[in-house]
Amino acid sequence: MTAASKKALGIRVDHVSKLFYPKDQEPVDALRPVDLTVAPGDFVAIIGPSGCGKSTLLNLIAGFETPTAGSMYAGDKPVKGPDPDRGMVFQQYALFPWLTVRENVAFGLKLAGVEQTVRDSRANQYLELVGLQGFGDSLPVALSGGMKQRAALARAFCTDSSIILMDEPFGALDALTRGFLQHELLRIWQEHRKTVVLVTHSVQEALFLANRILVMTNRPGRIKRDEVIDLPYPRDAMDETFRKLERSILDDLHEELQAAHGVTATAQAD
Amino acid sequence: MGAVTRSLQNGIPYLVAAAGIVAVWQGVVLITQPSPMLLPPPSLVFETLVDLTSTGELFVHSSYSLGRVFAAWLLAVVIAIPLGLAQGYSPAAERFLDPVVEIFRPISPLAWIPLAILWFGIGESGKVFVIFIATFFPILLNTVSGVKSVDPILIRAGQVLGCKSKFQLFRHVILPAAMPTIMVGLRISFGTGWAAIIAAELVAANRGLGFLIADGMEILRSDRVLAGMVIIGVLGVLIDAAFRVLGRKIRREEYS
Repeated sequence: MTAASKKALGIRVDHVSKLFYPKDQEPVDALRPVDLTVAPGDFVAIIGPSGCGKSTLLNLIAGFETPTAGSMYAGDKPVKGPDPDRGMVFQQYALFPWLTVRENVAFGLKLAGVEQTVRDSRANQYLELVGLQGFGDSLPVALSGGMKQRAALARAFCTDSSIILMDEPFGALDALTRGFLQHELLRIWQEHRKTVVLVTHSVQEALFLANRILVMTNRPGRIKRDEVIDLPYPRDAMDETFRKLERSILDDLHEELQAAHGVTATAQAD
Repeated sequence: MGAVTRSLQNGIPYLVAAAGIVAVWQGVVLITQPSPMLLPPPSLVFETLVDLTSTGELFVHSSYSLGRVFAAWLLAVVIAIPLGLAQGYSPAAERFLDPVVEIFRPISPLAWIPLAILWFGIGESGKVFVIFIATFFPILLNTVSGVKSVDPILIRAGQVLGCKSKFQLFRHVILPAAMPTIMVGLRISFGTGWAAIIAAELVAANRGLGFLIADGMEILRSDRVLAGMVIIGVLGVLIDAAFRVLGRKIRREEYS
């Protein structure tokens, strides 16, 4: 990779809580005061039961939502609304259907005022990185779901953000494609060392990718467990430590599920 | 498949439909034997059409009507698109404009004819005004709905990719995302304007397809009335097809 990359930045979440006020309804306590420090270049996975506020936390870091209390910093700058320095990969891909794949990937550079030839060649590098060379001139509608998400990954990394946030990026994909893209993402992250925060439902996905896993409680979400995963990459799902960790994180999640629904959920690997 | 072959193939159902209409028409004439003054046979109307073509009347009337619709449509485009963008984008503008639009919308363009004559007299502007009313709302409503139905996730994507101001977001995300819907409004509105041309020209016109029809009635030439109707139908279909082709072309250029 020849493109000069910006330095990864850390994230600091300082006693941040979030209440939603839906119209004509009781306020929803989405997030209890959360404290979190993410080191630059870390890959943090946030996992938790549905509706626990993990996406809310991500949206707060992205700047899409404003916290009810507390403050957040990207590097040492306070978070005030969305910023291209904090990129995002969405579950629904969110490619612009009227732009070609290359124009989608180069969109952030265009807005940053990078001239056409430079941004085209940068975009081509990232398309190659995700294996989409030859699709630069296609429209997103011509791509499969997996290819769309690869294009979205290329777009997030090409924009050269210091932090990349991912909201269940592979949730809509089939298992095979998901596994493949996890490898791709890992490879890109190892090459570029951006700070990544990944929200996921899958314990395995978190264990494959992250060097730190946060398990959240039911709504209102708090951080229940903060686990540093120092297994070497690439990780093996059959490895004993991997499986022990998977087991114990699943147990934590099931505890939350039971607390929420008062039922005994059968433990089941993802 | 080439664009020409495709257009020809798309035209086939229209030709079949036309043949069917002519067959039914001929059948009705054969069975009921009406006076040609009330319902002339297709052959007679065809002769009249040939006649109108050779005298140049067809061209004159069509171009007057087309000119009026085009002028009114352009005016509506220039006014309705900015209004629609504002209404779709800004809740404040929506709160103010929506009730106004909803009050005026159910009033048929035809209801404006008396006022149009009082205000503008019997010249061109009155006719253009009536057609303007007919074209205005489809453009406005499609523009509003195009802007409002932009997927919020695309707006978020735009924001994290560097659209910092509302204007940048509008220019780079909202407008292009709304464009297909706006294009539909442009096409539909030309159709509604074209449908209103007759009413606009029924009163105090001496050229135009509406005049041709009104005049045919006055001189008891139902063949000319029907010929006028045929021309309106055929031109309507052709204009719509032209819009579709143009829309595809613009989109492809914009999208690639």
